[in-house]
Amino acid sequence: MKRFDLNWPTLIFLVGLIGFFVLFLFYPLWYAFVQSLVVDGRFTFAFYELMVTSPVYRESILNSFRLGMITTIATTLLSLPLAFLLVRYDFAGKGFLNGLILVPMVLPPFVGAIGMKQMFARFGSINLLLLDLGLIDQPVDWFGGGGFVGVVILEVLHLYPIMYLNVAAALANVDPSLEEAARNMGSRGFRLFRTVTFPLMLPGYFAGAIIVFIWAFTDLGTPLIFNYRQVVAVEIFNSIEDINENPMAYALVVFVLLLTVFFFYLSKAMLGNRRYEMIARGYISSGSRPASRGMTVLIYAAMLSLTGIALIPHMSVFLTSIAERWFMAVLPQETTGRFYTMVFEHPMSLSSIEMSLILSVLSTTLDIVLGIAIAYLLTRTRIPYKGVLDAMAMLPLALPGLVLAFGYLAGYSGTFLDARHYPVPLLVIAYAVRRLPYMVRAAYAGFQQTSVTLEEAAQNLGASRLRTLFQITFPLILANLVAGGILCFAFAMLEVSDSLILALKDEYYPITKAIYALMGRIADGAYLASAMGVFGMVLLIVSLFLAGRFLGRRMGELFRA
Amino acid sequence: MFGIKLENVTKRFDNVLALDRINLEIDAGEFFFLLGPSGCGKTTLLRILAGFEQPESGRVLFDERDVTAVPPHERNTGMVFQNYALWPHMTVWKNVEYGLTMRNMPQHERDQKVKRALEMVQMSGYARRSPNQLSGGQQQRVALARALVIEPGVVLLDEPLSNLDARLRLEMREQLQDLQRTLNVTMIYVTHDQKEALAMGERIAVMQMGKVAQIGTPRDVYRQPLTRFVADFIGEINLIAGKIKSVESGVVAVTDVGDIRGQAGYEGIQVGDRVLCAIRPEAMDFLLDESGAVDNVIFGRVRRAIYLGEVEQFFVELASGNQVKLTKYDATMQHAQPGDEVRLGFSQVVMLRDEAEDRDEAV
Repeated sequence: MKRFDLNWPTLIFLVGLIGFFVLFLFYPLWYAFVQSLVVDGRFTFAFYELMVTSPVYRESILNSFRLGMITTIATTLLSLPLAFLLVRYDFAGKGFLNGLILVPMVLPPFVGAIGMKQMFARFGSINLLLLDLGLIDQPVDWFGGGGFVGVVILEVLHLYPIMYLNVAAALANVDPSLEEAARNMGSRGFRLFRTVTFPLMLPGYFAGAIIVFIWAFTDLGTPLIFNYRQVVAVEIFNSIEDINENPMAYALVVFVLLLTVFFFYLSKAMLGNRRYEMIARGYISSGSRPASRGMTVLIYAAMLSLTGIALIPHMSVFLTSIAERWFMAVLPQETTGRFYTMVFEHPMSLSSIEMSLILSVLSTTLDIVLGIAIAYLLTRTRIPYKGVLDAMAMLPLALPGLVLAFGYLAGYSGTFLDARHYPVPLLVIAYAVRRLPYMVRAAYAGFQQTSVTLEEAAQNLGASRLRTLFQITFPLILANLVAGGILCFAFAMLEVSDSLILALKDEYYPITKAIYALMGRIADGAYLASAMGVFGMVLLIVSLFLAGRFLGRRMGELFRA
Repeated sequence: MFGIKLENVTKRFDNVLALDRINLEIDAGEFFFLLGPSGCGKTTLLRILAGFEQPESGRVLFDERDVTAVPPHERNTGMVFQNYALWPHMTVWKNVEYGLTMRNMPQHERDQKVKRALEMVQMSGYARRSPNQLSGGQQQRVALARALVIEPGVVLLDEPLSNLDARLRLEMREQLQDLQRTLNVTMIYVTHDQKEALAMGERIAVMQMGKVAQIGTPRDVYRQPLTRFVADFIGEINLIAGKIKSVESGVVAVTDVGDIRGQAGYEGIQVGDRVLCAIRPEAMDFLLDESGAVDNVIFGRVRRAIYLGEVEQFFVELASGNQVKLTKYDATMQHAQPGDEVRLGFSQVVMLRDEAEDRDEAV
C-alpha cells in the first residue's frame, strides 16, 4: 500500500494552497518583520528601543496590557461562576439561557460604543436618570481615565461570552468521576475546586483567556470611538498615513505578533499537549444535578441581569438610531424612522452596504471552497505533514486581524494589489483568511461525524470517488457547510479591523468603515451610524440563529480555541 | 473497618425504580459481591454506600451509625472507580497522597503511608510517573493504593477489572483476594462477571431489576439457585417444566419426559405446584446401561456436538421436543455423535417455582 494518497489533482491543489498561505499569511508578516528591522538598507533595533524609551509608545503598550489584563480578569470572574451554575445544574430553560449567553456578541463593540457614548455622556440618559432619582447631584464621568473605563466595559461585555464558552466547555469536559474520587478521598468545596477541578480545566481556560486577552489588546474600533488614542492598536492605525516616513508601526505590529506567539507558546509549554478528557467507561454520572427552586431563581436572576447589562450597548444603539431629538432627557423626546431611510439614501451608507455584500459573498465563497477542500484532505486522505496543514488553516484564529491587515497594506503597497488604489481583492482575501478556520472546523466536524463506511458502501456499489462525494458525503454534511458559510458571511459583513485599515477610499468603504467615517463626518453621523449598526445587529442575529439551527448544540464549538 | 447494614433502601431515577427496598447486612472484614446484569442497580447501590447518590427512602448504617445523610467526603470509604479516575494532573505519588492530605496528616506520616501503599500494590518504582504513562493494570493498582492508603472503613470496587485483558484480570483477581485477606478490610465489589464473583466472593448478592434475588456463598448460589433468573445468570441451566406429584420422601414432578426427582428450591412446596426442574449441564451424564446409581433417567437424540478443547458440549433433543445441554469435561474420549440415541442420567435437580405459570394463573 502506498504511504500517501498523492495523485496529481491533490498535489496541484496542495501546492496552490501552500502558495496561497505563503502569499497571504506568511509574506505579509515577514514583510512587516523585515521593515521593522531594516531601514534604508541598514539593520537597526531603533524602533524596538523606542518602545521602551519613548514615553508615548511605552504608555501605549502599557495601556494595551492593562486593557488586556483587566478584560481577561473581569471576564474570568464573570464566566467561572456562570459556568458552574449552567453546567452543574439542570433546570427548565437551560438551553434558552445557554443561547442567551451568546446574544451580546451580535454587535461589534465599537458600534456599541457609539450608543454607549450617548447614554453615558455627561448629560446622557444614565446621569440624567440618576439625577432625577436624586441618587447623585453631580453628573458622573463614567468613562473616566480619558475613556479607558469605557473601553474596558465594552470589551468585557463583548468578550465574556467567548470566555464563558471556553470555561464551560472545560468544566463540562472534566470527568465527573475524577471529582467523585476526590470527594471520596475527603475533599470538598473550594479545596476540591483548587486541587482537582480547576487544574483539570486549566488547558481550556487558558485557551479562552489568551483569545480574550489578544482580542482586547488588539481591538481597534472601540478605543477609536472613545477617542482613547494611547493604545497599540490605535498607534498602528494612525501611522498608516505616514508609514513611509515612520516605520514605528512595523515594529508595533511585530511586537503584537510576537506577543501572540509567545502566549500560545507559553500555554503549550506550560500545559504541554495535555488533554484531560478521559473516556469514561462504565458508569457515567452526568455531573449535573437538578437545581432547587431557590437555585433556579438565583440562576435566572444572575443570567438575566448580566445579559441585561450586556445588552445596554445594543439598546443604546437602538435608541440612538430612532432619536429625533434626544437632548438632556433620559429617553429620546421624539422618535423617528428617518435614519433608517437615510441609510438607503446617503451615498456612503448605501455604497458601503453594496460593497460589504460583494466582499462577503466573494470571501465566503472562497472560504467554502478552501474549507471543504482542506477538511476533506485532513479527514479523508493520507497526505504528508497533515499536522502542518491543520495548523496553517487554524493559524488565523490566533492572529490578530490588525496584524494581518497591516501586513497586507504594507506588504502589497506599490503592487497591483495595492489597497490604496483598489482594496477589493485584498479585502476579500483578508476576510476569507480570517474566517477560514470557522469553515474548516465546520466542514471537518461534518466529515468526522459521517462514517467513512457510508462512502465505502457507495463506492462498493460502483460510484466513483467524486460521485460519492457529491451524492453521499455532501448531502450528509450539508448542515455543517451551510452553518459554516452563514457564519463566515455574517462575520465578514461586520468585520472591523481589516475594513478600517484596508479600505482607504470612500467608494470602497464596507459597512463598518462607513459607520466609523460617518461618526465624524456629518452632523447626524452618530444617528445614521447607529441605524446602520442596528441593521448589522439584525443581520448577525438572523445569521447566528440560522447557523444554530443547522449546527444544533455544536454551535459553541466554533468559538472555542 | 465497618460492618454495613442497608435497611429498605429505595432509589428512583425519573420514575424508574433503580433500587427497591434493599435489605442487606455485610459483616466487617467480609469480601462481599454485588452481582447482576447491567441496569440491575448494583452500581447505584455502591454509589449510595459512597454517598454519591441519596436513597429516596431507607437507611444506610456503618457499624450501627446512620450515615444516610453523611456527605461522601466524611464517610471514609475508599472507592476504586471503573475507569480508575486517577487525576491526570498529579503524579502517582500525589494521587495516592491526596486522601491523606485531605485528612491533614503530617508530612512524614504521609510519606511513610504512601510508600507502604505503593509497595503493597507493587508500584513503588512508578511514584513520579503521570497516570497517563501507566498501563491499564498499573493504573488499576494505583487506584487501589489510593483507596487503601486512607485505611477506609470499607473499600468499594466498581467493576475494577472490567477494563483489563483476560490474563491480567486473572492475575489481579488473586492479588485482590490476597490483599483483602492480609488487610482484613471490608470490601464490596460490583461486577457483572459471575466468574469473578464465584472465584473471589465470600458471599454474593445476585441482583435483578433493583431487587436482591439471592444472597449466599458462591457454592450455595450456584448449586441451589432460588429463582430461574439466578440459575440462568450464574452459569448455564436446563429447565424442564413440570407439576409436583409428591413431596413425601423427596420431591417428584411429572414432566413431558417422565417423572423427575429432585430437591425443593423454595419453601412451602406442595403437590400441584407448577415448577421448573433445573439441571446444570455438567450434572448430566450419558448412561451406557441401566445401572441405577442416578435418580433420574431420560431419553433423547443428540442433535449437535461442539468440541471446545477442555470440554465438549452436547445438545440433546428430548422426546418432548425440548432440547437440553450437556457438558462433558473429559473431552479426550468421544462420548456421542449427532444422531445417537442416548440415555441421560442425573441426580442434582432443583425444583424452582415456575413464575410464568404463576402469573398466568393470577390473570
